[in-house]
Amino acid sequence: MLRLMFAMARKDLALTLARGSGLVQALLLGLLLLFVFSLSQGIGERMAPQGAAAVFWISSAFCQVLIFNQLYALEEVNNARLGLLLCPVPVQAVWLGKGCAGLVLLLLAQVVFLPAAVVFLGQTLGGPLPEALLALALTDIGMCAMGSLLGALAQGQAARESLLSIVLFPLLTPLLLAGISVGAQALGAPSPDGPGAWLGVAAAFDAVFLGAGLFLFAYIYAGDE
Amino acid sequence: MLELVRVAKVYGVKVVFKDVSCALAAGSVSLLVGGNGAGKSTLMRIMAGLSRPSAGAANVADQARVGYLGHATFLYPGLTAVENLAFWRDAYGLKLTRDDIMAGLARVGLEAHAHERAGVFSRGMAQRLNLARVLMQAPDVLLLDEPGTGLDAASLALLRREITAARQRGACVVLISHDLAGDAPLADRLLALENRRLAYDGLPAGFKGFAADAGRPNAADEAQGGPACCA
Repeated sequence: MLRLMFAMARKDLALTLARGSGLVQALLLGLLLLFVFSLSQGIGERMAPQGAAAVFWISSAFCQVLIFNQLYALEEVNNARLGLLLCPVPVQAVWLGKGCAGLVLLLLAQVVFLPAAVVFLGQTLGGPLPEALLALALTDIGMCAMGSLLGALAQGQAARESLLSIVLFPLLTPLLLAGISVGAQALGAPSPDGPGAWLGVAAAFDAVFLGAGLFLFAYIYAGDE
Repeated sequence: MLELVRVAKVYGVKVVFKDVSCALAAGSVSLLVGGNGAGKSTLMRIMAGLSRPSAGAANVADQARVGYLGHATFLYPGLTAVENLAFWRDAYGLKLTRDDIMAGLARVGLEAHAHERAGVFSRGMAQRLNLARVLMQAPDVLLLDEPGTGLDAASLALLRREITAARQRGACVVLISHDLAGDAPLADRLLALENRRLAYDGLPAGFKGFAADAGRPNAADEAQGGPACCA
């Protein structure tokens, strides 16, 4: 199972990074969102840390939708999905492989989004950085677990981008709230309670989403009509 | 090796076929024929485990040892020929070296194109690469759905040699083909789907064509080896 998972992730990253088109689109969309939100400020004004963190995570969420649509579209060109279903390992390896590839691509995008958010939205990093990085990792893992599951569900649908957004975003709300709250603290927003509670929320939703993915993926990614 | 027990497939209210039963042995080649829409590909997908029968059961000795070559090539256009095979080797958990993969490409005459992206391959080259993918698995059950599509005469001859070789090493081969004249000599057995059931199951030489073609001129001749009578 791990062998297929690593093969899948390696193949997806090779195809996406070599061709670049899927990642470039996602990066441009995220940067565009950051830029458009930056226009809401006057010259020299600084957006509230909570707002800046929200814009960062909205950019990440839309980027993620494009990433997982792109990743699952790779199997649709010549119906390689059927070949994967014939592999003598649990099909969840595909979900894990796509999730890992999506996580790497999302982190690469966020490496660009974070400085862009600081520059466009006038932020400074002054809060608890280790907790913020932990929140980033936990939120990204949950987003990719659910993105990989629902990306498979949306594949083959005529309006898959919008379908994925409509189904995915409500489910991600608690995770995004956790990411936004801890992210805002990293950008200097005061928080009497600290990031602990939100990190717990993110970890709990990660566990739920990972469990749901492992259980449901075989029903979603099937060869039958 | 492969057994179908009263298999039926229904889409909504449309019955594609029903009560299809047969047992296919190791070291045999079975030719599956039928008119357009008779359900040949659907039946093969059921054999491969890619589609669930609406009724009945398809039993394969070892589902992990099934090789399937269908209408789609399963290739990634952005990967080279050798990268495609390396991916499927890892996906199927095969213990093959890069030299084995290159030998597989040479076997289908693609060694000179090993480092070209599959996206630039012609239909015939893609089909040969697809064939290399299936042969690399050395499957116990080899399911071939119109594998001759897009192949030139030399590639067709190669395909028939590989089918014979698979039978000789003990594989159970099921072949859907438009070319009854070319492929019937390979087969030990012929299965014909007609009128939503298995209308014929026996030696290829005993097959007299489809009832629907009975009034058509030359139908009987075509059934004995004329061009394109059955698909």
